[in-house]
Amino acid sequence: MSQVLPYVGLGLLFLLVLGLWVRQSFVTRAGRAELLMPRQHRSGVGRAAPHRDLGERIFGPEDWDFVSRDTPSEIQRMFQRERTVLAISWLRRTRKRVSQVMRAHVAVAHQSKDLQLATEIRLALSYFLFLILCNSLIGWVWLHGPVRTRRIVGQTLQWAAQLRRAFEQLMARVDPASCRVVGTNFKHGTVRN
Amino acid sequence: MAASVFTQILWWIGNATEAFILARAVKGKFYGKYLAFYFYLSTVLFVELLRFATYTLQPSSHRVVYWYTEYVAATVGYAVILEIYRQVLKSSPGAARIARTFLLGVLAAVILKVMMNALSGPAWSPAATSAELERNLRTVQLLLLFGVVALLAYYRISTSRNLKGITFGYSFYVFACVMSLAFGSLPDYALRPGWRLVQPIAFLAALFIWGGTLWSYQPSPEPETTSEIERDYKILSEQTNRILSRARSYLKLGGEL
Repeated sequence: MSQVLPYVGLGLLFLLVLGLWVRQSFVTRAGRAELLMPRQHRSGVGRAAPHRDLGERIFGPEDWDFVSRDTPSEIQRMFQRERTVLAISWLRRTRKRVSQVMRAHVAVAHQSKDLQLATEIRLALSYFLFLILCNSLIGWVWLHGPVRTRRIVGQTLQWAAQLRRAFEQLMARVDPASCRVVGTNFKHGTVRN
Repeated sequence: MAASVFTQILWWIGNATEAFILARAVKGKFYGKYLAFYFYLSTVLFVELLRFATYTLQPSSHRVVYWYTEYVAATVGYAVILEIYRQVLKSSPGAARIARTFLLGVLAAVILKVMMNALSGPAWSPAATSAELERNLRTVQLLLLFGVVALLAYYRISTSRNLKGITFGYSFYVFACVMSLAFGSLPDYALRPGWRLVQPIAFLAALFIWGGTLWSYQPSPEPETTSEIERDYKILSEQTNRILSRARSYLKLGGEL
């Protein structure tokens, strides 16, 4: 029986990939719409600003310190419940954003003649690790609440940073001119630091 | 008896469907568009009819003809896979580059395996049994198809309905072949008559998929022109810029935590 296992393993892996491709073939139009979405929101750039500190606020200790100090236990439980919902929502949004970056990347990269296999593999691995970690975090927050999860979030965000660096390197190869634009905008965004 | 009748029904339906698909391609004048695939179908049909003719007219030589033609379809199947690679990745130079590396990797692995077998055994043979040889041929095909399907899924490469049908149908059939031959090599499974029907049924299913998707010629979607890519890319980089700016904030948060 053990001699069949490699074939069964390969077959199952193949079925999984085939299933993904077949499923995706039916949602190609939706994926494209997602790529074009920024056109509709081009004027609303400033809307991102109020949400910028959301993650910091959700996972920060200040609110919890205040609630745990001056309020009864019922309010504390209510706070925990609401903060859990918020934290999960924030994590899902982070995941969605990084996924959009990846989708945008693959849409452009497969037509690039300068595509680097090593960078692609690194990027894909970083992305999948990020997804695993992000999903684990959602589960962790759901089980234990956001206050206890603060330390783990830091790790997730380091993954996001690695992904960003890999993406920047890749974009520099795909389109150096546009990458310079991105880089310049980043320098403008250093006010917070 | 019932199994034999069922096998014959499958056989006749299969041949009729193959002939029908070929006739559609000739009538619609797109036989040449997927030459390797239609050559494969023609070969399979020819081999089946040749075996039938031999069995009917000269039963004594049927066994010889059967074994000589056993691996023809599996070998010609490689041409179908190469055609899938060529047509699907025509407009994706980046993905084609990865595919070339992958193909070379598989080729190197196969050569290495053959050489290791040759060095380790005194009397080397490609496989102990004919079923094992076919299983090995089909497994390499499955690996190659895995590569192309993974690229299609990961890079979301858009393909025509025809190519989707060819790829999906052939992938399904090769998968069924590998599973059937792998389990068929086990003593418990090989003797079960139902197990021998897996391959013909899978091939018939593939034929129905091809019949549906190759009803008429549909060209592959034109790749976006450079200006469109650049335009989308600019929008894309704006979006990326916003997301990455936000990621910077998250990173600052990560540093504090």
